[in-house]
Amino acid sequence: MGLLSILRKLKSSPDRELRILLLGLDNAGKTTILKQLASEETTHITPTQGFNIKSVQSDGFKLNVWDIGGQRKIRPYWRNYFENTDILIYVIDSADTKRFEETGHELQELLCEDKLNEVPLLIFANKQDLIGAAAASNIAEGLGLHQIKDRAWQIQACSASSGEGVKDGMEWVCKTVKK
Amino acid sequence: MQTRPITMDFIHELISYFYWYFRPIIKGFLRLTTRLCELQRICYGEPKGGPRTCGVENSMILSRDPDIVKVIKSLDEQISVGAFKSTQTEKEVLVNAVNTILVTKRIKRDLHRQFEVSLRHCLRQIWGYKQLVQEVEKLRSEGFDSENLEHERTLLQLWALLQPGIPLTTRKTKQWQNIGFQGEDPKTDFRGMGTLGLENLIYFAREYNSTAKHILSHSHHPKHGYSFAIVGINLTHMAYRLLNEGCAKSHMFNVTDAKATLDHFHHLYSYLFVEFDKFWLSEKPRDIMEFNRIRDLFENNVRTLLAEPTTCLKIHIAVENV
Repeated sequence: MGLLSILRKLKSSPDRELRILLLGLDNAGKTTILKQLASEETTHITPTQGFNIKSVQSDGFKLNVWDIGGQRKIRPYWRNYFENTDILIYVIDSADTKRFEETGHELQELLCEDKLNEVPLLIFANKQDLIGAAAASNIAEGLGLHQIKDRAWQIQACSASSGEGVKDGMEWVCKTVKK
Repeated sequence: MQTRPITMDFIHELISYFYWYFRPIIKGFLRLTTRLCELQRICYGEPKGGPRTCGVENSMILSRDPDIVKVIKSLDEQISVGAFKSTQTEKEVLVNAVNTILVTKRIKRDLHRQFEVSLRHCLRQIWGYKQLVQEVEKLRSEGFDSENLEHERTLLQLWALLQPGIPLTTRKTKQWQNIGFQGEDPKTDFRGMGTLGLENLIYFAREYNSTAKHILSHSHHPKHGYSFAIVGINLTHMAYRLLNEGCAKSHMFNVTDAKATLDHFHHLYSYLFVEFDKFWLSEKPRDIMEFNRIRDLFENNVRTLLAEPTTCLKIHIAVENV
């Protein structure tokens, strides 16, 4: 252990740090995505009271990922975490069709925030493994994503529990920031 | 600054290596001088409960005696078939295990009756704990299913226990948020803790009803409030980790003269809930976003308590008038 950490210190070039904000309704799968990014077990997750934060290395970046609870009671606190955000990741439960309107409304509010002005947006259309999950293209249309002109955006279908699609989304994140 | 921990690590490693290497020699020497084997020294010398049972378990794990290794393996196999759920099969399994140990350690039964009883008791506690780990895992891995009538009935019972006299208007309603679920339907809130989260909550609400209701009222505090059920499910996760990592052994071996059962796990959970609520309020959190920080502090305190082999966690209920 001792030797390894010394080697790591010698090697480490200063990675560029990115502040990533993970938002979405409760039960969208934010914490599962966070755990998936950190290559941690995703089977023991509990609802987030407050927030979780993890730092992960990826593609020459140090990603500081902030996962904020999505419960309605907690949403007013989201704004406390807007400052200096490099990337906004918004997570949607693609099978929870009944709450598409609610999630679309929350997203619209975020896009109007001054502090998130021009911040690139990645949308994870999560839970594609579930029966009845809407396709990413349908969700994009329903949310009117094509009308977004003031920032780079991308929608990525994924299944956080299996990890499928999560990496593709993060590749877009790193690519977008490098530009 | 950097070198010190590394040398400390090195020394520590060196000591444990020497200990491993010389352990049989030290044991042999003590056996000759005391005419007792290590298990006997522990059973006669350590007080009943955590100190003795943990001592026996460590001694067995470290043992390189092929018969002891075999005993451990066969007892572990008995866990997977649930032998420790029935008193009869448990007794048979334990008598066999103790007999094997008496033979391999060449201990005269007539001279060491007390040892035999004491060792059997320790083995019962050790493998009872392992059986409990398995039972708890079974509940955790069973997801909450709203098609399951039993699950639904328990959920409605939880409501009735916490909000007596206030009927639910419909099954899916914002009322659930009053007892700290996130939305209109609690089913998605159990997540990775499955029915274990519900069973924990219902036990706490039933066995410590007035305390649970009192804590629920704390959770409605305008500034220091929190979501009762969601925090409860997070505490289930804490209790589950403490059990699985073996940290809860000291408590479980002391809390009962027999072996720990599911009710003892629920009791540990209730302890965590009562103490967490006290701790949370005493920390005067700015808002709910401080939850993880305060939970980690609290968990560290509990782990420090549990590191002591004599620890037995007791639920202190303050008599308060609301």
